[in-house]
Amino acid sequence: MLSGTASLDELAARAPNMPALDVDAVAFEDVEVMQAAYEMDYSTREVCLPPGLHPTTPPLMVVLAWKVPDGPFGAFTMAQVRVSCRSGVRPRGFVAGCLVSTERAAAELRSRWGFPARPGPVRLDRFYDAVVLDAGPGLHISGLDPDPMGAGDVQYTVTTTLADTPRGLRLVQVEPDYELRRVERIRPRLDHFDASAWDAPALAPRHPVSATIGVGTLSVPKLRFVSRPDIMAFEGTETV
Amino acid sequence: MKFGIFFEMSTPRPFSTATDLLVYHNSLEQARLADELGFDWVWCVEHHFLEEYSHSSAPEVVLAAVAAQTERIRLGHGAVVCVPEMNHPIRVAERAAVLDVVSRGRLEFGTARSSTWTELGGFNVDPDDTKKTWDEFVRVLPRMWADEPVAYDGRCFSMPERNVLPKPVQKPHPPMWVTVTSPGTELDAAERGLGCLGVASTTYAEQERRTREYHRRIQSCDPVSTCVNDQVTTLNFLYCHEDADVAAATGMRMVGLFGLSNAHLLWTREAYPTRAYQSLGNLSPAGGSDRASPGDPRGIPEGIGVGDPDRLVGVIRRWEGIGVTGINFLINTSETIPQEEVLASLRLFASEVMPKFQESASC
Repeated sequence: MLSGTASLDELAARAPNMPALDVDAVAFEDVEVMQAAYEMDYSTREVCLPPGLHPTTPPLMVVLAWKVPDGPFGAFTMAQVRVSCRSGVRPRGFVAGCLVSTERAAAELRSRWGFPARPGPVRLDRFYDAVVLDAGPGLHISGLDPDPMGAGDVQYTVTTTLADTPRGLRLVQVEPDYELRRVERIRPRLDHFDASAWDAPALAPRHPVSATIGVGTLSVPKLRFVSRPDIMAFEGTETV
Repeated sequence: MKFGIFFEMSTPRPFSTATDLLVYHNSLEQARLADELGFDWVWCVEHHFLEEYSHSSAPEVVLAAVAAQTERIRLGHGAVVCVPEMNHPIRVAERAAVLDVVSRGRLEFGTARSSTWTELGGFNVDPDDTKKTWDEFVRVLPRMWADEPVAYDGRCFSMPERNVLPKPVQKPHPPMWVTVTSPGTELDAAERGLGCLGVASTTYAEQERRTREYHRRIQSCDPVSTCVNDQVTTLNFLYCHEDADVAAATGMRMVGLFGLSNAHLLWTREAYPTRAYQSLGNLSPAGGSDRASPGDPRGIPEGIGVGDPDRLVGVIRRWEGIGVTGINFLINTSETIPQEEVLASLRLFASEVMPKFQESASC
């Protein structure tokens, strides 16, 4: 069974600080949600993940974007680069990097859920026959030829972030719930990706797999679980 | 009640020639013993690229070896992936017929469409299409086995008149099955008159519901050929030992490891959103290994074939009572159980458990 081999010291150096784990639930209305998946090289399988997580084969990089028109953090757009993995037997997406369009939202995402969020230019634009996500110098992807599909046919994997918490360095399980009223599958294209801009030089997306764009309500409930990043989830999971 | 053993060819890391030799030749030895002991089937899956979980990429080759080393046991080609990028339908028909010939009519023919992105993506298969191509395969294969010659003009492939040779020994063709992972696939099987080859762990209640609906639907099926296979099998684990504590400790180690490696597969739905794949996994934790059996002091999940002979008789009686006609057993995972213990488990099961069901069958 493969496990992550990333240096915890290096990951810890850029882990955000979460002053508390008992954070309130938050909901956002009319959020546009884009998700795009790309296969990565096998050589990147373990090196992107901490030892407490297990890679998938093939390794999969998933870009997740939220365009939030309003809400408790104000309007913002977020682009997140994550690596598909397993925590024990559960599917997870480990967040390697996160760019947020406003300082305020970036600070909230860091302190509430441990997203490694940095403020920066992010735009998610919807056109008649295309969707474009532009995240500064580090990422530019397009989704072409929208094709309507059932909202239930899209899987959004639970998020795992690495954060400095009151219990120490922990993998934080963030479980957004998406109630989307419209979802379309789009043909993904990776126009530009610079791994160094995401502080994750091992990320190497190659083969586009799929992408979707949806709109609806995004709810993030209170945190339920954290786990130690150095050991398997069977031994290292803790209830919040 | 019929019993089979089921090979995934799961393989521990680090991968090496020695490990491949061990896994494959241990499996062949298990098949020979199962033949001697009176097991009904040996099934061998088709998977591609699934590191650790299954290195069984050419089951027709394994089954040819089993055919040459056994006398009686039936050969479960379980299952052929029915998408043309992986297997051209003419080659599928030819290989199956040859297996039936060299085994003197012992072939069981399973059909499937693959469930992981690892496999579908590796062959550049569009997941939206696999149900359609599977449906086309199961309708044309019986014609290739029976008709002389056959022509076909379809969606996923076409062929002018040719005589597909040889023809199978079993007439009109070997029994056909569908692997059932996603809920609802048992209905696809029933509507086409195909056997239900369960490869997903379920509860007794869920299996009872599925089996009842399968038997109801197959009464009015529109079969893909002139013969109907109305058998329903489930997939299970087998570790049988006189000492119930030893059985639980060893057997549950296998169950847990299989569940872990299964959960680490990249299921299609996770990578590629599609209505064609509704479920995640087969013997996944949600479906099986963490399903506590009420009142079981050793924490063995409901319906799992791990225990002493008395427990296994009880478990199988429950499956039998809800209409299951056969159980296929995974008997090892990634060589976690030493080969001698696997063989001892098979012998004990055959001597203490199987006769109970042969008796009930003869009554």
